[in-house]
Amino acid sequence: MMVPVRCFTCGNVVGEHWEEFKARARDGDEDPAEVLDDLGVERYCCRRMLVSHTDLVDVVSPYQ
Amino acid sequence: MTEEYDVEFVEREDRKARFLVRGVTPAFANGIRRAMIADVPTMAIDTVRFVENSSVMFDEQLALRLGLVPLTTPPEGEFTEDDTVTLSIDVEGPATAYSGDLVSSDDLVQPADENVPIIELKDDQRLEAEADAVLNRGKDHAKHQGGVAVGYRHLQRVEVGDDVPEFEEQERRIVRGVIEEDGELVPTSEFDHDLTNRYPGKEVRVEDVPNAFVFHVETDGSFTVDELVTRAVDSIEARAIELEEAVQL
Ligand SMILES: [Zn+2]
Repeated sequence: MMVPVRCFTCGNVVGEHWEEFKARARDGDEDPAEVLDDLGVERYCCRRMLVSHTDLVDVVSPYQ
Repeated sequence: MTEEYDVEFVEREDRKARFLVRGVTPAFANGIRRAMIADVPTMAIDTVRFVENSSVMFDEQLALRLGLVPLTTPPEGEFTEDDTVTLSIDVEGPATAYSGDLVSSDDLVQPADENVPIIELKDDQRLEAEADAVLNRGKDHAKHQGGVAVGYRHLQRVEVGDDVPEFEEQERRIVRGVIEEDGELVPTSEFDHDLTNRYPGKEVRVEDVPNAFVFHVETDGSFTVDELVTRAVDSIEARAIELEEAVQL
């Protein structure tokens, strides 16, 4: 629903980078790999947290 | 252990460092690693009292998210394990509540990262809560784990041998970590982790340097790497003293 605060595997804080990642790689047209390198998200455990995330708040909020 | 050991930094930043330790046994190196992960107390939110939560997430989901936000941990001795620090958050939609919106009652305990989204609030939704942060160890909950991805490798030494026969295709020799060359430390990233880039056309032999370990340490922002390592070592010392006293007749 919301981006996980930390990486499930190593415990690194990844939520911190979500909005910038979203703006640059999802909504923008930058290469996600380069954005992640730039943000300092190095390990693949942390990278998959951002790459595979989908925000669902907009999907569920009409049913409150 | 009466032998001397020395420490040399390869890379040093606030939240991330690599350093070489010489003269420790594999068991002691692993002891330091484990202490950094499980035995250094950090502050984290543990109890949350919700005044209002009309967001799309349940109270307990938000409490978990708040707990996982790293908080700066005061110097050793400043707090004991029973002390609590109260933090409050009050955000009204449409807006996103961030970790930076947490207001702490103590200057020493602040969110280490301010940009972690806690919950997105729509029109007429509101989050108001009061949270108690406590000091605890990584052993009890991962949110109290100050060291992230802590590990070590042997320092390696490369022996350069004869030339490779002229018409033989040379295979890649991948090494990761840090190698020692004439007393100088070279991170393998300098030659793309491939020894054939550094010694083209040469036979190479790689061997571990005994009792020399290169640690890679990152923290979640609760404190600096220096703090984490010294506190981990202090905790080993404290337990060793406790054991010594316990077995004395
Ligand atoms: Zn990770």
